[in-house]
Amino acid sequence: MTEATHSQALEAQATDPQGPAIEAKALTKVFSDPKRGKIAAVQDLDLTCNYGEVMGLLGPNGAGKTTTLRMLSTILAPTRGTATVAGADVTNDPITVRERVGFLSGTTGLYPRLTAKEVLQYFGRLHGMDEDTLGQRLEVVVKAFDLNEFLSGRCESLSTGQRQRVSIARAVIHDPRVLILDEPTTGLDLLAASDMIRFVESRREEGRCVLFSTHVLSEAERLCDRIAIVHAGRVLAVGTPQELREETKEEWLEDVFRAFVARADQTLTSEADNL
Amino acid sequence: MASQQRLHATLRVAAKELRETLRDRQTAFTTLVLPICMYPVLFWVMVQGFLVLQGQKERTEVRVGVINQESVPEDLLRALDKGQDEDEEYQANRLVLVDLGAQEDVPRAELLEPQGEDSSPGDPPLAGVLSFAPQGAQLHVNRSEPKGELTEGRITSRLARHVDQLREQAAQEGGYSPTALEPLRLERKDVGPESDKGALILAMLLPMLLVTMCVMGAFFPAVDLSAGERERGTAETTLLLPIPRLWVLQGKVLAVASLSMIATSFNLLALGISAEGLLATLLQGSSITINLPWQSLLAIAPLTLLFALFAGATLTAISGLARNFKEAQAMLGPVQLLFIMPAIAGIMPGIDLTPGLALVPVLNMTLAAKSMLLGKILPLEYTLVAISLLISGWLALNLAVRLLSREAFATSSATIPLRKLVSFLRSDGDASR
Repeated sequence: MTEATHSQALEAQATDPQGPAIEAKALTKVFSDPKRGKIAAVQDLDLTCNYGEVMGLLGPNGAGKTTTLRMLSTILAPTRGTATVAGADVTNDPITVRERVGFLSGTTGLYPRLTAKEVLQYFGRLHGMDEDTLGQRLEVVVKAFDLNEFLSGRCESLSTGQRQRVSIARAVIHDPRVLILDEPTTGLDLLAASDMIRFVESRREEGRCVLFSTHVLSEAERLCDRIAIVHAGRVLAVGTPQELREETKEEWLEDVFRAFVARADQTLTSEADNL
Repeated sequence: MASQQRLHATLRVAAKELRETLRDRQTAFTTLVLPICMYPVLFWVMVQGFLVLQGQKERTEVRVGVINQESVPEDLLRALDKGQDEDEEYQANRLVLVDLGAQEDVPRAELLEPQGEDSSPGDPPLAGVLSFAPQGAQLHVNRSEPKGELTEGRITSRLARHVDQLREQAAQEGGYSPTALEPLRLERKDVGPESDKGALILAMLLPMLLVTMCVMGAFFPAVDLSAGERERGTAETTLLLPIPRLWVLQGKVLAVASLSMIATSFNLLALGISAEGLLATLLQGSSITINLPWQSLLAIAPLTLLFALFAGATLTAISGLARNFKEAQAMLGPVQLLFIMPAIAGIMPGIDLTPGLALVPVLNMTLAAKSMLLGKILPLEYTLVAISLLISGWLALNLAVRLLSREAFATSSATIPLRKLVSFLRSDGDASR
């Protein structure tokens, strides 16, 4: 990609910041397992996230959070349904989606034999940045994530916290308007986790959209403008923490979550009985 | 514009993969150093191949022209050509005599040329020319041709046996000691140039080595860049690159092929440096000279590059099925043999580059290298080899793309067994993503 293409991509993102940053409709992912047959990891998921908003996907392990985020970042192709991220369709235009989105998860490792700087340059160049733009952007992320000390160190020699900082820098080197984070604080110590939380807050202040998954309720409560409660591949409820509390008449988010899951399980049981 | 973009992205990926691979001590060692340590094993394989080759030699028929055949005693001709129905040894080592008539003034080397004056276009060329005179027999062969040595061996042993019989018979009749008699003396003359003999030895050795070096050079990088990536947890990171997955894989295969070429060049250089001392020891007392034919090797280089791309794509595709480095190594072991066995077959005498064989991958590379080292000019066959390797490489790249663009490549933590390859290929995946 050329400099012009990169500029056009950024411009396209900037010209339509009013529309939804992420819009998923009936998004479904079915996996084939040789032993268990077909498994629907995500079923008819509807979700909308806006610019300047932090949206949390809250759910237990196996709820379908990671699969949803992987579909939105084009790592997986949806089986059914549609989704647009930063104005591009994840099925028909996955490369544009990848140009406009920053994705980070526990499984997006850093190339161990490259230095932190080389990783950032590699992604920046493949995002079509020319050397001047890349140099300027490098300065920004190095300062923002305090990478200077270990910028020339190979990623394999970095500590967990340092690696996490480089990974975030990798995800935002192209200055994406949409950021998708899969359990970003898992495995981090307290200091690194609070750095991550501050980073998410800063992205919101810059008018970016952040969609992240977590099963840490306190984190969701502190960060999220809205929360989507996900269970068994379905979205059970979406709303601000206050709206969710009001709906369930519960005070603590943990109880709110339990109430929605219990309600969903009840519905599923009665549906099964009717069959 | 799009193709330029594609080229830039592919080259960036290839450069990154090369840098990363060369920084890994294990891969660098196994790519550049291990092949040299593997030479003793290769020589053992060659000895085994030689034994097979001996069997092949026995089945090879040779044609020998005889000057003035009508003037040669019947019993002598029978001794050379006899007993095809009676004697098992003679039956295996077939020797066909061709009457050349009077050819006293014609240089013998000319008679040995393919499609000589007295041969019909369909006849294979003569492997030797035999002439008899009162003072003895003369055999002209070209020892730089595989059949030349065969012919010399067969004629010599058959004449020796016949001479022994004559000697015994005469000694019995006249009361002489058999050792005092010499009824027929055989003079052997080689019409082949000395340098050709060295070329023949190299033609037997280098094509197989080239294929082996290429495959071994591609082995570890292929594993490292596919299964290794899964093991290191960077497969998902690579899938996030804002370019089509096909370009990423092209970059990876290009990196594997480049490393294979680097390893091959390194090996050849090491072989060239040590050849003088090593081969001089082996060929002590011989007039044969061996020089690494750098010009021929340069001519072979484009084909070697195509072969390296083919091998790189195949090995990358297969190792992509494994979840980690160790399992990929186990998986590629038999695949490696699939490359090396045809290479061994290709150096056997009697198997030459034909338009048909030029289409058989791996075998065609060995045969083309052999022909080029022997200085044969076969434009049609070489072109066919290049086309065949290009098509094979393209097919292998597509297989790699189909395999490594599967979602399972990024998401599954299990090794996909080779037997499930077809069903795996049918599962979801799109290289354009």
